[in-house]
Amino acid sequence: MKTSYFRNAVLLAVILLSASCKKYLEEVPNNSLPTESSITDASTARAAIIGTYDRLQGYYASSYPTLGTITTDNVIFNGTLSEYLQLDQNAIPTDNVITVSAYQGIYRTINSANSVIAYVPLVSDPLLTATEKNKILGEAYFIRALSYFDLARGWGGVQLQLKPTTDLSILKGIKRSTLDQTYDQVLADLIQAEQLLPEDATTRNRAQKSAARALRARLHLYRKQWVDAETYASQVIANTKYTLVKPYKSFFTAPFQTAESVLELAYSVNDRNSYWNLWYPSSAGGQFTLKPSDALVSKLNNPAIGGTRNALIAGSGTTVYGVLYNTTATSTDPSYLIRIAELYLIRAEARAQQNKLVDAAADLNAVRVRADVGVTSATTQSALIQAIEDENAIEFAFEAHRWFDLVRTERAGAVLGITNKNFWLFPIPYSDVQSDPDVTQNPGY
Amino acid sequence: MKNLYRKGFYLYLCVFWSTLAIAQVNPTIKSQLNGTVLDASTSLPLPGAVVKIKGTTHTVSTDSDGRFSFVTGQSFPYTLIVSFIGYDQKTVTVTGSPVTIRLQEIQSQLNDVVVTGYSTQERKYIAGSISSVSGSVVQNQPSGGFNQLLQGKTTGVQVSSNSGVPGGGITFRVRGNNSINASVDPLYIIDGVFVSNADPITAGLGNQAASNPIADLNPSDIEDIQILKDANATAIYGSLGANGVIIVTTKRGKRNTKANISLNTFQGWSTAVNKFEVASGPEVALLTNESRVNTAIDNGLNPSTVVLPFPDPQNQPTYDRISGLFRTARTSNYEVATQGGTDRSTYYISLGYLNQESIVKPSDYSRYSARLNYDNYLTDKFKVGTSINFTRSDRNLSGSDNNPTGVINSALFPRSYLPIYNNDGTYARYGSFDNHLALIENLDSKAVGWRTIGNIYGEYTFIPGLKLRSSWSIDNSSEYDNSYSSTLISAGIATNGSASSIENKNLVLTNEQVLSFVKSFGEGKKHNINALVGNTLNTVLNESTSATGTGFAANSLRSVSVAATRSGSASRAESKLVSFFSKVSYTYDGKYTIDGSIRADGSSKFGTNNRWGYFPSGGFAWRLSQEEFIKNLNFFDELKIRASLGLSGNQNGIGSYAAQGLWSSGANYLEQPGIAPTQLANPDLTWETTRQFNVGAEFGIFKNRLNIVADYYNKYTYDLLLNVPVPYRSGFASYLQNYGAVRNKGFELGINSTNIETDAFQWTTNFNISFNNNKIEKLASDISLGASGRNISILRQGYSTNSFQLYKQLYVDQQTGNAVYEDLNRDGAITSADRQIVGNALPNYTGGLTNNFTFKGFDLNFFFYFQQGNKIMNMNDFFMVHGGTQANIGFLPRQLDRWQKPGDVTDIPRLTTFSGNPTQNGGAANNYGGNVASLSSRYLEDGSFIRLKTLTLGYTLPKDALRKIGVNKLRVYAQGTNLLTFTKYGGLDPEVSSQSNNQNTVGYDWATVPQPRTFQIGASVTF
Repeated sequence: MKTSYFRNAVLLAVILLSASCKKYLEEVPNNSLPTESSITDASTARAAIIGTYDRLQGYYASSYPTLGTITTDNVIFNGTLSEYLQLDQNAIPTDNVITVSAYQGIYRTINSANSVIAYVPLVSDPLLTATEKNKILGEAYFIRALSYFDLARGWGGVQLQLKPTTDLSILKGIKRSTLDQTYDQVLADLIQAEQLLPEDATTRNRAQKSAARALRARLHLYRKQWVDAETYASQVIANTKYTLVKPYKSFFTAPFQTAESVLELAYSVNDRNSYWNLWYPSSAGGQFTLKPSDALVSKLNNPAIGGTRNALIAGSGTTVYGVLYNTTATSTDPSYLIRIAELYLIRAEARAQQNKLVDAAADLNAVRVRADVGVTSATTQSALIQAIEDENAIEFAFEAHRWFDLVRTERAGAVLGITNKNFWLFPIPYSDVQSDPDVTQNPGY
Repeated sequence: MKNLYRKGFYLYLCVFWSTLAIAQVNPTIKSQLNGTVLDASTSLPLPGAVVKIKGTTHTVSTDSDGRFSFVTGQSFPYTLIVSFIGYDQKTVTVTGSPVTIRLQEIQSQLNDVVVTGYSTQERKYIAGSISSVSGSVVQNQPSGGFNQLLQGKTTGVQVSSNSGVPGGGITFRVRGNNSINASVDPLYIIDGVFVSNADPITAGLGNQAASNPIADLNPSDIEDIQILKDANATAIYGSLGANGVIIVTTKRGKRNTKANISLNTFQGWSTAVNKFEVASGPEVALLTNESRVNTAIDNGLNPSTVVLPFPDPQNQPTYDRISGLFRTARTSNYEVATQGGTDRSTYYISLGYLNQESIVKPSDYSRYSARLNYDNYLTDKFKVGTSINFTRSDRNLSGSDNNPTGVINSALFPRSYLPIYNNDGTYARYGSFDNHLALIENLDSKAVGWRTIGNIYGEYTFIPGLKLRSSWSIDNSSEYDNSYSSTLISAGIATNGSASSIENKNLVLTNEQVLSFVKSFGEGKKHNINALVGNTLNTVLNESTSATGTGFAANSLRSVSVAATRSGSASRAESKLVSFFSKVSYTYDGKYTIDGSIRADGSSKFGTNNRWGYFPSGGFAWRLSQEEFIKNLNFFDELKIRASLGLSGNQNGIGSYAAQGLWSSGANYLEQPGIAPTQLANPDLTWETTRQFNVGAEFGIFKNRLNIVADYYNKYTYDLLLNVPVPYRSGFASYLQNYGAVRNKGFELGINSTNIETDAFQWTTNFNISFNNNKIEKLASDISLGASGRNISILRQGYSTNSFQLYKQLYVDQQTGNAVYEDLNRDGAITSADRQIVGNALPNYTGGLTNNFTFKGFDLNFFFYFQQGNKIMNMNDFFMVHGGTQANIGFLPRQLDRWQKPGDVTDIPRLTTFSGNPTQNGGAANNYGGNVASLSSRYLEDGSFIRLKTLTLGYTLPKDALRKIGVNKLRVYAQGTNLLTFTKYGGLDPEVSSQSNNQNTVGYDWATVPQPRTFQIGASVTF
């Protein structure tokens, strides 16, 4: 009797143990979703597109605007971190922290956008209306377009990943495309985005039709398709939602989201952007790694060039610093993606290239007058194009423009002294060259 | 049930009466015997021992004085059987009265017992490689953690402090680095409790490991330490054992000993051996001018047109920031402990307090510890007990780190001609740097840890040799970090004060059952079996909650709750481990031992396809000294050879959910919740496995006065848990998979010698040396990392871990003054392809030499530690020998050795900030900038050193004198630590590793607190 009890107990224990062991060893996190149930209903579809914007913030908060500024004559290195020195000197090793982090951040954004594009159409949830679905998809196409555009102008033609990475086999065999192929992909996505996105409402920090049109204007400008650039810029300028705000500094003064803004990424105290930290001196709590160059400071302080744009700098003597990003207490500066001023200058350049000099000058002057600077004295085509280049440098002094403009117009050699054209493109990250058999490094690195 | 009790009661009465009846009724008295039962080692009486006359039922127990008496019908001589729990049964033939019987305690009877996995064994029969260190070796040292103090004390471990900050992180490896991404720290077991070694401090210290969690154990509580090194010893710990196992046994009372109370204290004073030196104001001005002129020449300008930044360099002032950094740091330690035991129970109770300041202001560390160890024999067969350790640790943290707003950086980096204060008396700040005095006076970052390490167990002996032990353990730690950045320091200026409050809780629960069987049988007890089978359930739960706030009304208001803006965060991760294990060891005739063990582990961390791992091992030992042909040599007192082979595993250091494909939440935008992919699934993810082969020999000669232990091992770790870099276009940076292999092989030699042993004078020497060779045998692709994205460390197949990759500087051209680097791929240009491995941070060998002298009451001890062959990346030189490229950073004196004119021979190139043509080898751009960007081998230095780690002189007062005042023992001593260091390293201290929170970025010296020189005096007294 006693032994059989014992035997039964042991037997029961063994059975329970082996059955419960498997259960016992199941652990799931409480802050993440399993990949297979990531986008399944209305709320996860919404969360996924929000996550895609978050990824876009990831590279636009600091690294991408830095790539567009410290590389030029506007901003110099003033800190201790050698990755910024490398950018300032335009001697960029393949493992430069900023280029690597931007490149990685852009592809992370693309993977999120790819996931939305792949999975949201499969969601059948009555709470997710067709209109909302289109909106989400349109935003994903727009963000993917912007991401590939940012890759193309920084690194040249890149590998086109158009499907979400579910496992690594999906990567095999994808080689770098040409610059034209990458831009074609951007265009294809923008066409989709423009169709799917809703008409403009009040919002300025999520993509709407105008954002797609504005980016398309910029794309055509980069591809020297002047007619299209003019057309799309005109569409946005014609929208009464957008105006050149006065004074200049109001667009970067809290609470932001002025009529100037076609698209800006917003931040909050729970979702901070502390980019100001790189611009402010340590006596104001910053690192002071990025400093306006003496040349820029004198231009901004010249009423005939800078006008009210001298509001971009503060301080005196050796401690003049840039204040475009200025919410030191709250760290809520937006990332400025597209401002209406840019569309005026896009159209000015597109018109000038088409020899519509009067119209071109009018667009240029719109931007100048807003900054309380007198109208341009340029009258010839070449002088006007030069004036537009100079205006871009001042108007967007601390935004991701100057470097890409000088490369696009092949003026980086003349203006910055970088005669070796190989260095007009950033290097493909060192670790990618090591781990990816399908990638080729940009020449010269 | 009630019935049962009643029956039991009747039965008891029955027995009781019959005993009485026997005692009373016996009619013929033939002899009377009076006796005493004593503990053989302490000579204290054993109350409750059972004395039985053989062949009869006549049994008595000893009274509280250990006395017993018989009045019996038996006549002398007759035989007594004396037994007592925990002691060996003894059979004595008595011929008359009175008689004194001495019983031997079971444990103390074995000589040289070693605690191995889940059991104890006599050292001479062990086939594995195990180092033993007595607790006294790590006591009374000016350092918090016992593991830190194992440096140079035994073979097979490599220990170094990462900095001179008390209670700070250390690097501890048993036989090298086994892994790349999984943990390389050993398993610590304290009184059977699996103890967490995860750094709980969340405050960022610039990649320094903030704390040594093992410092929560007061070293004075330690009885001994066993270091399990080879597979035979560690395989029983399966997936936890690959990096070696450190088993700590704390002090316990002895049964039947009188209570003794010991007091122990020491006081120490620490100073910096070397302090930072920077170029003076005139020197900085001179160098800056020279750089400006040279740059102009490189740009093709006429140097005479250059406007010198310092027209009059000689008149530049010099402000000394360094002396404000250092102080004479105090250490105080107080301990009180008592231990003893009754016939059925033992106890050890201790309290300790340690307070230690850092020589660089303002960090300090204090620890309050309490321990209770208690065992009780409830019955002859059933024993229960507990070991509980409570610790509170208080740390005052300082970001003395690679951050420009850290204390050391803020003193070291600013140019020395710049004043410390502004004209209005406020703190002056330059460039990215804060003001060091502002930091020292206003830093407020406190980390308070509460830790409970406890265990309760029950042990039931079925028959002699067959025992079941069940043990329930907890390691519960809570780290509470509060910091406030006031508006007087740079970090708090912009936000008007910022505060954070973080609680990080870590809980390890372990339950284990072990059924063990020890038996000797056969003729002359030639066959010995030691076997066990058991299981464990292990849960690790980590939870953390943080709150941050910015915007404070006044600097005196420091609580997050009163901040203008507040935000919070929380996280949780849990993992489980289920294990079954068994071990059998068989010894024949004291000569041959063969043993084997196996463990099966299932982990919740791994993929559903590969959750279980199996880890077998086997070993063999042959005591040649027991063979006649060796005995006949009359030379060896002990001669043993042993060999073992086995597998052990590793799963520590990877995330709890590492195998799962995940989309993380928290990717928010516009105050809406967002999700985004963060981790690729790997359902095949499984154990990283280490296969280790070990052969060893042990000799004892000259009457065991010279003991030598030598071991050779070859460890091959495969299926590494590797974060394999994947192309960024995947949207991920890496993918955790089982890929890659690392080999560690090495040789260890330990020598213990009793050189002189007379009554008055003793001299003993311990020498040990450990060689380890580490090599990555298989890796998917190079992994570069370290130094804030500068990728100075590299993992590459065919090279050891912790290698440094830099541009190899061949020379500075005597004509041009430009640095020339090795053009590795001979393409005529210096590009990233020309970076190469120029050394690594792992020493070829480490070791120690200890000498102990005692003469009458005096004792003298000195201990040297040495290591050879490791390199140090001197980041202070990297930043401060910058040739003028860093406009806000001063210079180190080494910059003065720069090339100035044709014919100069130096390794410091010509000053310039020219940046044209960054790929030209021997071009001016690459001197300090360019593609090389100062990643030059000229900043990599040899870190070998020999150090007189401790020198101690003590005096123990004569016993006779003490007895009169009721004192058992009184010793006073004086000790010096780090008195002498012999090294070629140019930085402050060669024992340094400031990027140590990643095991693959070892060997950086970057604004780190050096090891202090400490003078201490102490006394210990026992009543």
